[in-house]
Amino acid sequence: MKAVCQLCGYVYDDEKESVPFAELPDDWTCPCCGAPKEFFEIEGSPEEAAEPVADAQDEAIRIATDAEGDVMAGLSAGQVAALCGNLARGCEKQNLPRESALFAQLAESFTAQVEPIDGADIHGLADLLMGDAGRYAAARNAAKAAGDRGSLRALTWGERITNMLSYLVGRYLKDGEAFLKDTEVWVCAACGFIYVGDEAPELCPVCKVPAWKFEKMEVKAS
Amino acid sequence: MSTPRKYAVRNLRLCTKDCICLFVCPYGATDTENSVIDVDKCVGCGACAEACPSGAIYMVPATYPPQQKKQDSVLEAMGELSRAKADEEQIARQIAAETGEEGLARLMKAAVKSLRLVHEDVMRESGYMLPQSANAQALLARIADGEGASAQTAKELLDLIPCNEP
Repeated sequence: MKAVCQLCGYVYDDEKESVPFAELPDDWTCPCCGAPKEFFEIEGSPEEAAEPVADAQDEAIRIATDAEGDVMAGLSAGQVAALCGNLARGCEKQNLPRESALFAQLAESFTAQVEPIDGADIHGLADLLMGDAGRYAAARNAAKAAGDRGSLRALTWGERITNMLSYLVGRYLKDGEAFLKDTEVWVCAACGFIYVGDEAPELCPVCKVPAWKFEKMEVKAS
Repeated sequence: MSTPRKYAVRNLRLCTKDCICLFVCPYGATDTENSVIDVDKCVGCGACAEACPSGAIYMVPATYPPQQKKQDSVLEAMGELSRAKADEEQIARQIAAETGEEGLARLMKAAVKSLRLVHEDVMRESGYMLPQSANAQALLARIADGEGASAQTAKELLDLIPCNEP
């Protein structure tokens, strides 16, 4: 029997391991990306039914919808910030350092203009992240129907990264500070994958860049 | 001299300082102190890229082809995701700023970074792949219409980046 990590694709092959997958302890994690055991699927087992699309009304924080339905208009400050951040990276890749710095400046200025969200807490964040399953499923269907391979790539990576973040937030809600005591939090600077462990992974499980692309999260001691 | 169709770029991570580029460049475009090839001097002949033993120099085009078109159904679904990512990032930012817990602060700092990168990727695939695209130019024009420092920055960018779509 083979079990495959749905996050990074790591294969646990019973024939090559001393302990069968089914007998691994519940707190066992993927040796490649740190995903929990429940992220693994048995190879050849029927695919799980699509997750239901989350009802936006049920979410702790309602997402403002664009009344006009015009994708160009009605972007919020947070959206424009991400857009400019993306264009800054585009300029950097084209070796346009001045243009990149200007777009980064715009991104920073729009980030500062984002309206604070009332009652923002970790439960609200956990709910929103859970709701992303439905949003990713809908976007994947649209991209598949349109034969849009570029979007599918972005959605596959984004969903894996979101799944990991969602899991880590859940772990924090369950175990509190003990979960992160004496260990490090790393972020892949290329794709955003978050890894909790003493050292950064050799390769990013999602986008495959080397360890030096990971950034260690540090906060000033209070 | 006409504008070159291509110009040379050095990947500093790969450069092993063999310095052959200095010997082969007829225009002295590669001899800068900070190792960034001088675009004003580069004529795009490709001699340095060909000679570089570490493969650290590559040629990029001066103009890019128009980006792939996106379907409205994809843009709509990506828009939903984009709005969620913006809210998630802001919530994480507020938690990181307000919490007294060290571990939570680190996790939320990671979340802010991670969500922004994922959001940027959503935007890239939502019709904003190229800064030269008509979409990006329209966005800049809207920002330039406003007031303050951002409008000024957007105007500067519009002057610097030519549109590559009709």
